[in-house]
Formats: sequence, C-alpha cells, structure tokens
Amino acid sequence: MESMEKKIREIAREIFINQKIDFFLGYEEGSVPLKSRPFFIQAKEKTPDGLINRLVWNSFCSNNLAVFLPKFFEHDPRKKPPRIGISVKGCDLRSIVALIKEKQVPRENIVLIGVPCLGMIDKTKVEANFQGLEIIGSEETPEGVLNITTKDGKKHHLKREEFLQEACIECRFPMTEGTDYLIEGKARDPGDGGYARIKAFEDKPPEERWEYFKREISKCIRCNACRQACPTCWCKECFAEQTDLRWIGASIDLSDTMIFHLIRIFHQAGRCVECDACYRACPMGVDLRMFTKKIVQDVDELFSYVPGFSTEDTPPMSTFREEDSDNFISEP
Amino acid sequence: MAQGVIKKEDLYRLLSTAAGKKKVYAPIDGVGGIEFAEIHEQKEITLDYSNSKLSPKSIFFPQREVLCTFADDALEEVQTPKEALIVFGIRPCDALSLTYLDKVFSDSAGRFKDPYYLKRRENAVIISLACKEPRATCFCTSVGGSPSGKEGADILVYELADKLLFESCSDRGQDFMKTASVLFKQAEEDHKTAAKEQAEKAKDGMPVLNLNGLKERVDKVFEDPLWDEITRNCLGCGACTYLCPTCHCFDITDEENRKGEGYRIRTWDSCQYPLFTLHASGHNPRVNKKQRMRQRIMHKYSYTVDNYGDIFCVGCGRCILYCPVNLDIRDMLNTLNKL
Ligand code: SF4
Ligand code: SF4
Ligand code: SF4
Ligand code: SF4
Repeated sequence: MESMEKKIREIAREIFINQKIDFFLGYEEGSVPLKSRPFFIQAKEKTPDGLINRLVWNSFCSNNLAVFLPKFFEHDPRKKPPRIGISVKGCDLRSIVALIKEKQVPRENIVLIGVPCLGMIDKTKVEANFQGLEIIGSEETPEGVLNITTKDGKKHHLKREEFLQEACIECRFPMTEGTDYLIEGKARDPGDGGYARIKAFEDKPPEERWEYFKREISKCIRCNACRQACPTCWCKECFAEQTDLRWIGASIDLSDTMIFHLIRIFHQAGRCVECDACYRACPMGVDLRMFTKKIVQDVDELFSYVPGFSTEDTPPMSTFREEDSDNFISEP
Repeated sequence: MAQGVIKKEDLYRLLSTAAGKKKVYAPIDGVGGIEFAEIHEQKEITLDYSNSKLSPKSIFFPQREVLCTFADDALEEVQTPKEALIVFGIRPCDALSLTYLDKVFSDSAGRFKDPYYLKRRENAVIISLACKEPRATCFCTSVGGSPSGKEGADILVYELADKLLFESCSDRGQDFMKTASVLFKQAEEDHKTAAKEQAEKAKDGMPVLNLNGLKERVDKVFEDPLWDEITRNCLGCGACTYLCPTCHCFDITDEENRKGEGYRIRTWDSCQYPLFTLHASGHNPRVNKKQRMRQRIMHKYSYTVDNYGDIFCVGCGRCILYCPVNLDIRDMLNTLNKL
C-alpha cells in the first residue's frame, strides 16, 4: 500500500500543478490508533507539497469520502463550483456515481483517482480482541501484519485479513471502473454480496426478528451520525426534521426511533452501496447492516438492480417499467 | 474528612446498606458499552472501564423528559422526580461537569430553577472513582480538572489492587460513610500513600494542552476564514454533543393524538442540527457547519466563561473517540490558539 500512497501523492501533485483542481480530498493519519481521517487540501500555493505529503493510503481509510461532495455543489450564484480531486475505493466511487445520477455532483468537476481496494480494517473487531484494554498504537506492514501496542506496553501482531470489515469481505466491487486515474495494483477478490446472511435472518421466526430489531434500535440515541455519514442521505431537509408536517417525534421513544431508521433506510433503496459508513459512524454500535443489506437485496431481486459504476443506467426508483415487480403490492 | 477502606467484593453490600430507600446506580457492561444503570447485585458492577460511553448527565438530564400532560385545554403538571440515587463510579471529569450543569439549571439570580434536574441532583449522592490510567484522549488537567479531582463528588474512591479507599469530600458524603461505618475498615498509611502515588502518576502521565489566552483569541477571530478550514471534515452529526457531559441544549415539543391529548416533552438538542436556532420566520443564523461548529467551540470556551466563569469542557475525550471523522477538538483548539 505504500506504493499506492506514493502514487496518490504524485497524481495529486500533478493535477494541482496542471491546475485541474481547487481541492484534493483524501486521507491523512488520524489522531487515534486504527484511524485515518478525511483530509482536504486547498491549493493556496501552486503545489502545496507539505500538505500533499500528509496524504496516506492504508487499511484505516474506511470513511466514505463521497459524503463531502454534495455540499460543494449546492446552487449558489455567487460562487463558481470547485473542481475536486478525490481518491476513491469501489464503494466511494459507487456513491459518487449515485450522486452524479441524482444531479448532486457534476462529473466534470471531479477528478477521480481509483484505488484498487484490499479491504479496510474493522476498528471494533480489533478493539474487541483486546477486551477493553486500550490500544495506544497501530501500524501495518506490507506483509499484511497489523502491529498493535496496548496500554500495558505489550506489542501484538495480528493478521490483517482476520480483522477486515464485513462490508469489505462481502464487497462485490473492490476494483474501481471508469476513473480518470487508476492506481496500479491488485484489489482483493470480489465477495459474494452477503445475501446469505439476510436469507438466514429472514428464515427466523417473526418474534425473533422483532426482538433483534428492538434490541438494536433501542441502543440508538438519535444523534444522526448514521444519516450524516451516508453519502446518499443528502436531503436538504430530512423528513425527521420537518416540523410543519411532523412525521415522527423528536425523542428516543422506541417507535419514533424505529420509524426514523425504517424510513431512512427505505430512502436508500437503489442507492445504498453497502459501504457501512452509517454503521461505522454510530457511536452506540447500532448494527444497521442487516437492514441496509436487506434493502439492497430486495432491490436486486425485485428490479435486478445493484448500484454500480455506470452513470448511464437509470435507478429503479426513478423510472417505471411495465415488467417491474409488483407482487409486494398484491401479495403482502 | 472521613476515610475508610473496603474490599472490592463488598462494594454492593456497602452501597445498598447505605442506600436505604435510595436507588443504586453503577457502571455496567451494557449492550452499547459501559453505561450507568440501576443495579441489584455485586456481579452487575464493572470496575474495568476507563469511562462510560454516554456521560452520566442523562441520569439527571434525561434525553426525554415529560414536562406536562394535556387534554384539550386542561393542563396537568408532572410531579418533579422523587427518587433518590446513589451514583457510584462517575469519573472525576464527569463529576466536575455536573457542577457546570448545576449552574445552567439554576441560574445565580435564582430566577430560573429547573425543578426536574435540580430535584434529582438534590437527592443524589455522587461517589466518583479516581482514574488510575487516563485514556490517551483525556485532557482534564488542561481544563481545570484532575484524574483525582474532587469537585462535584460527595465521596472520592481510589482503586487499590483488591480494595477501595473511600474519602468523603462533602457533608453528604460524610453522612453516607457514617451510615455504613461498620462496613469500613480503617484506612492505613499504606493505603493513603498508594492512593496518593497513584493519583500523582495518573496526573503526570497526561499530555498538556496549552489553552492560555484561548478565550481572548477566539473572541477576536470570530470571522476568520480559518473556521472554514478546521470544520471542513465535520459531518454535522451531533454525536460529539450528545456524548459530551457538559452539552445541555434542549428542545421542547408537544406530542398529541387526534383527540388533542398528549404531553409536552423536553429532548436533547444540538448546535450541530438544522433545527437548532431556526427562527419561526425560516431564518437561521447558523446555516452551515462552520457556524455550527464555531458555536460549539465558542459556547464551551468563551460564552460559558463569560456567563459562569468556567470552560464547559472537562477534557473527557468522548468527542475525540467517537467522532466518525476523528475531528479532534484538541487539534481545533491548538490551531485556533496559534492563530
Ligand atoms: S445506508 Fe449506510 S451502507 Fe448504505 S450507502 Fe448509506 S452509509 Fe453506506
Ligand atoms: S448513528 Fe447510531 S445512535 Fe446515532 S442516530 Fe444513527 S443509529 Fe442512532
Ligand atoms: S465534530 Fe464529529 S461528532 Fe461532532 S458533529 Fe462533527 S462529525 Fe459529528
Ligand atoms: S467537548 Fe469533548 S472533551 Fe470536552 S467535555 Fe465535551 S466531550 Fe468531553
């Protein structure tokens, strides 16, 4: 991954020099272990070398950067929309494609640098491995070993492959397509999409599923981190915040919280790219992955559509075809 | 000051004996992480935690509070909470934060006293647990606290191998210890020295953030473009404010059925949200993330200094640990202070 990092920096430098972009959006080292964080570079000088050298690429670059884009392109007659260079994994790119189709991001203002994805580390899995013992340092080796230092001063060596995010293990699109630049390298082998996990859940008795839903959702504090971290949750006014006609209450009454999640996730039909940004953002560890994946699976089965890399095809919720499945209406 | 020692395994016995009719709250390893909950036996308590995920403010200032009920024009007030609590295991930073919330919910002129919050506080005994090993994200000593700080606590407890050393820091704490005096063993010199050494060590190991002159600085740079830069990563989610022990903004809404019966509730609010300070006209003085994050910082490091004489941040580090984009308040403060 070090060579990828070098390459990303080179391309960032090149497109700054050629004045193709006003901003670059990538990752820098985070301030806590096991975390790289989003990093904006704004060109005040022609080649902001000091900043470019802070760009990193490693197993902790899990944030979906697409979430930052729509704000830059909100209509404002006083401002010229910026041109932004951005390093993307498969999931980031699929979100950007969705945003392009939804006219939230103009393709011509974005310079895409595709990075073949090897999968990202799941911070919570690593933390669980140490059962509450604080992790004070983390680094990885090119051989796929994760070196962890814990508070007691001990060093531990973990296999990277064993601590990947479920989203990455299940991911069907680890290799980007249609970017302006492509970093050389091999992506991990595509996963199977993870529908089996949903099928297994669907086979459980309703009471058990209801209990699960209740247990997960009752952890929620309605902080909105899931919504805010989701690239395709870009509504200027979320239904949850409409006050003139109020859809749901403001509190953590379980029914309100359930409705919040149901509607938010329904609104992702045909748009969710299974990046799990919502799940990762949640401070309370609400496992939203069962519900988001269910929507992805339903859209796939009912409309044969999975959001991919093409900006040409039409998302199922924006169109109507005579042969569209309607048995969810006739056979509830 | 009263002092006494018990064995760790006798903690629940002690708390329940002294509690009488009071409910006992302590840290448990819950579904969403470490949380404070009412406990009924020793084995529910965990002492193996750096801090709770949600701050203990929700015990006194719950996320949802019913203020009154109504049916058509008839209004019925809700009785102020009567239950009395013993809360064990609050970390010193969070205990300090309660003294700040006290000032908010009972202003010095005594004109606005919040009966719900104050009643719960009045009836509670706070037993804090000194930090042996502060987390790497803790910075209490930079904002007027300490890993063995006593402010806000009725009793401060030190964790020593298999024992707990209790030290009262208020009359209420002293009374508590008297009620259960038979269960305490005398605190030996060894215990006291060990506690002292541990406290020193915890404090010395903490990083220091230089916040000298920060208030004057941020007051002057309100319009500086730097705010845009440091807030660019923020998602506007509000997780930082919901987890923060000193954040206390709330909203009041009515919820009713079609017959016009319902209740008025108070719920947490956050400066990061679009409804925050939204005027009836539709205008909002804070429409973007720069303005919202600036409010969060200014409120904590400037406005509350003006209003109450305190920085409303106790350095617990929750906002650093749980921010989905790792927007680190220490970095923001450092950058602002260097401006
Ligand atoms: S709903 Fe969750 S998994 Fe789906 S795109 Fe949004 S953040 Fe990603
Ligand atoms: S991020 Fe988690 S706690 Fe916050 S609203 Fe979403 S599910 Fe609830
Ligand atoms: S600072 Fe972090 S936690 Fe707070 S609102 Fe911004 S993104 Fe959310
Ligand atoms: S601002 Fe952050 S560090 Fe300070 S008290 Fe709040 S959560 Fe803790």
